[in-house]
Amino acid sequence: MPPTTGSRILRRSITRNRGRLARGTGLISLHQLAEATVPVLIGVGIDRAVAPGDGTALLLWVAALGTLFVGLHLCYRFGARQLMLAIANEAYLLRGELAAKIVHPRRLRTDLRAGELLTVSSTDADNVSYLLDYVPRIAGAITATAVSAAVLLVVDWRLGLVVLVGTPLVLVGMQFAGPLITRRVTEQQELAGKATALATDLVSGVRPLRGLGAERAAARRYHDVSQASLRAALRAAGTQSRYLAFSTAGSALLACGVAVLAGWFALDGRISVGEFIMVIGLAQFLLEPIGLLAIVPSWVAEARASADRAALVLGAELLLPPGAVQEQKPEPDLVLTALRHGTLEGLDLTVHPGEFVGVVTPRSADGEAIVRLLAGGVPPGEFEGSILLGGVALHDLEPAQARAVMLVEPHQTDLFTGTVAANVAGPSPADRTRLLAALAASAADEVVDGHPDGIDRHVAERGATLSGGQRQRLALARALLAHPPILVLHDPTTAVDAVTEQSIARAVRALRQERTTVVVTSSPAILAVADRVVVVDDGRVTVEGGHADLGATHDDYRKVVLR
Amino acid sequence: MSTEHLPIADRRETLRWLRGELRARWGRAAGAFAVGLLAAAAGVTPVYALGVLVDRVRAGAPSSDIVGITVVIVVAALVAGVTTAVSTYLIAGLGGRILATLREDVVARAITLPATRLERAGKGELMSRVGPDVAAVNKAVTDVLPTMTSSALLAALSVAAMVGIDWRLGLAGLVTVPMYVVALRWYLPRSAPGYAVERAAVGERSQLLLESVQGLRTVHAYRLETPHLQGIDAASARARDVSVNVFGLFIRFVGRVNRAEFVGLAVIVVTGFLLVRDGAVTVGGTAAAAVLFHRLFNPVSMLLYTFDELQAGGAGLARLVGVVSIPDEPREAAADGRSPVDSTLEVTGVRFGYPGGAEVLHGVSLRIEAGQRVALVGSTGAGKSTLAAVAAGILQPAAGSASIGGMPVGLMDPVLLRSQVAIISQETHVFAGPLIEDLRLARPGASDADIDAALATVGATGWVQALPDGVRTVVGEGGHELTAARAQQVALARLVLADPAVAILDEATAEAGSFGARDLEDSALAATAGRTTLIVAHRLTQARSADRVVVLEDGRVAEEGGHDELVLAGGRYAQLWAAWESRTPTFP
Repeated sequence: MPPTTGSRILRRSITRNRGRLARGTGLISLHQLAEATVPVLIGVGIDRAVAPGDGTALLLWVAALGTLFVGLHLCYRFGARQLMLAIANEAYLLRGELAAKIVHPRRLRTDLRAGELLTVSSTDADNVSYLLDYVPRIAGAITATAVSAAVLLVVDWRLGLVVLVGTPLVLVGMQFAGPLITRRVTEQQELAGKATALATDLVSGVRPLRGLGAERAAARRYHDVSQASLRAALRAAGTQSRYLAFSTAGSALLACGVAVLAGWFALDGRISVGEFIMVIGLAQFLLEPIGLLAIVPSWVAEARASADRAALVLGAELLLPPGAVQEQKPEPDLVLTALRHGTLEGLDLTVHPGEFVGVVTPRSADGEAIVRLLAGGVPPGEFEGSILLGGVALHDLEPAQARAVMLVEPHQTDLFTGTVAANVAGPSPADRTRLLAALAASAADEVVDGHPDGIDRHVAERGATLSGGQRQRLALARALLAHPPILVLHDPTTAVDAVTEQSIARAVRALRQERTTVVVTSSPAILAVADRVVVVDDGRVTVEGGHADLGATHDDYRKVVLR
Repeated sequence: MSTEHLPIADRRETLRWLRGELRARWGRAAGAFAVGLLAAAAGVTPVYALGVLVDRVRAGAPSSDIVGITVVIVVAALVAGVTTAVSTYLIAGLGGRILATLREDVVARAITLPATRLERAGKGELMSRVGPDVAAVNKAVTDVLPTMTSSALLAALSVAAMVGIDWRLGLAGLVTVPMYVVALRWYLPRSAPGYAVERAAVGERSQLLLESVQGLRTVHAYRLETPHLQGIDAASARARDVSVNVFGLFIRFVGRVNRAEFVGLAVIVVTGFLLVRDGAVTVGGTAAAAVLFHRLFNPVSMLLYTFDELQAGGAGLARLVGVVSIPDEPREAAADGRSPVDSTLEVTGVRFGYPGGAEVLHGVSLRIEAGQRVALVGSTGAGKSTLAAVAAGILQPAAGSASIGGMPVGLMDPVLLRSQVAIISQETHVFAGPLIEDLRLARPGASDADIDAALATVGATGWVQALPDGVRTVVGEGGHELTAARAQQVALARLVLADPAVAILDEATAEAGSFGARDLEDSALAATAGRTTLIVAHRLTQARSADRVVVLEDGRVAEEGGHDELVLAGGRYAQLWAAWESRTPTFP
């Protein structure tokens, strides 16, 4: 059971990395202990070696300092490595869980958009893992403060008391500004992000911009956003610098207060000169852990916010029922009964095994609704009526099984980085002959013919290096090669010229000879090869028959498919 | 297509640019520096004063001596607080202002880049300049620059104070400088490629994730969940391992910095020991020097650890300055206040070839009388889009010219040119933000009524009103997604708002779904009504409704005439038309 709240995700990040985290935290605390010892050692060196002019003591001191530094570095080296492994591991594990949830076959019920899902699985997963960095830092800072306070208490209890009382006071004072700074920095980052997004958006639309002569208007718009971003940056810098004024002055006063008090005691002879120097060094050193402790709460808050967002994904419900039925007839029929969804108002349609049916929807919303329903992404509660595959309700089938029986190639084509062959055939190596046949049938052979790499031609991210028509034909080849018992296509040839469209229609018909095919389209070339044409208007079937007959007898039909 | 990269400024150019910017704001720059210096001095003073106190203690001074020193220290602490804050603010402000000017110049330059240059460099390269590069410089300026400057000043003043105690103590402190430099020179050349590999690995991981999310429909349809997850997992594991390796390098760098700290501290105390023995320096002076040096551990190591971010910022800066310094394409002298007499579009003997490629247009001539509509027809690669771009003045022909109302487009200044002719290219783009803002790019001062009228002209009123927030709905990247056909209608509405005398439409309806295509043809007709129109026709119905058809084959005009005339002539156009008609069923 994955954790479903932010705090559970944070807790689990600690428990499942506890070995490395414990070792790392221990070593980092030791490292801080060594760091706190440096100013003490400086005081001792001045007192025992420099002041009396004792050469032997000086050599001993240098040796001690060297040993301390070796120990200090070793602690850091091994501690930091343990922590880095823990952090990298946690981010990797969480990312894997998020990705698995995002692409779950039963689909995620979420309002998050693609970009936001990407942010959650990259930035937020990282932010959660940084908790494993904050824990040892806090432990180290507390160790350093405690050691310093302890040494001061030994030197003179009043000095220790000043630190023990003063530190929390300074810390509390600093916390007041925390939320305000966070807000200002967030605002600054948002506006900077907005400016960047606008800049990349304008550049990506540079050709349309130039075609209209809108370059100046665009530059002015960017200028406005950039200036707003600058103002936010200045506001954030202002807030931060006011905070800096108080924190610098406050912590300096604390450090100096301790030092001056020690100086007074030294003048009185209550403490030695060596102890005084030690206190000066320690008081200066203390500023670091105090500064860290002041800032850590805002870091933890950030990790917490990220964990909450990750929980939105990990804890999100799945849209589709698990579906129990695994078995299917080899050649199922497709029966839609009284379907109501979107603009559909009681659609009845039966497609027999091996049939090639063209569906004409003068209202594009009807076609989209049919395709959406057949693709299986609409959960049972969100439509009325039934979709039966070989007598079994679509959502009673296990989702992967349902997809295997009925494949819907969406009109909006998605290609992935890789080769043409990998895009068309998927991850399993395909029979080359069948692959080439599918490419030829969809007239996508033009994409690989004449290219030096042939079917291994590289496809860039989302098929960006191919034209819209090429992408569409590759997607059609992919659907044909998959050769599912039932294939549903949606406007598969809109970016193809008339002559090619006819050859595609004939080839698709030939390849789908034994199997069931449904094409939602208005292409006369495709409709002409269909066994039967069904016209869906106003949400239900209005007329059906052969393409030629409908054309001869129905004016409306002629108007829809005539160009 | 992306064969030639955009220029990157070298170090000298970048520094010259930076000096120029600082000189333009010398008052602010000098102020920031002066206050920063004061802050560092105020930070050093208490330690120095405490050193004096050590000596007084050793000399057995009375307790009352504490008063003067306390006053000095408290005042110094308060001054340090205020001046540190002010200098941080001033430096951030200075950097922020320079950066704002730079990024605005970069964007302005990017969107007015000569067309051929843009084609050669590719849009991706340009987007990386205005996106990640600006972000890298921004990060360096806001996160690194202020602390780094104050750390450097504090280090400088601390060394100065040590020199003030005794020059030999100052020298002892400076012993570490070459060690730090050596450590940096060891680390940076190793970390930079390491970070580059890390960025690439993270980039690959993000890309696979994003592709899977955006293509989720297809992933589900083809049951690609497992292979996609395996791909993401492999990329994610690679990114993890690379990060751990790069961090190993950092740990070793920290070791070198620690070594320098140890050597510096030891040398200072040993030097102090010798100087105290010779009576040249007091014990208090040595103590102050040692504490001053110890106090620099943190700021100096921060300075060193953030050096690579500064370096990344510098690299980004060089790439931005490179864009800003791209010169304009040489244009012939602009005409002296002349303007076109009417909206006749004439192309005479135009030859054009893309740089490094073969000639695409071999002497094309074409004339469209004011208010007429001409369809340009031809197979892929015939040069239709190139001719359209030349006619619109986007591409400069190698020979021949395009003119409007008798005035060559090459002689018009950009503002006049676009008031005369606008082109809708094949590439549609919906600008992210409220739809109304997208439309106002075409006419910045357009009133709501103008916008509504333009939408009505192209027949988009219905669906726009049905959007969640009507014309104010956020569309484009990250907003409400518009279909290809609607995006085209938006482009046509922009054309109506821009209101040019000559309109050029390049395959503007080709990609839309088949039902939308006919609606779009109507929209295009309405949007270009009354304008001299050159339409690159993919659907031959567009050609049939034009006043005249020009058939382009292999960069030459093959046929020209009315639709019916050409169909009867039985040439190339007749063939194309027959193919087109066979697509339309002939019902009995």
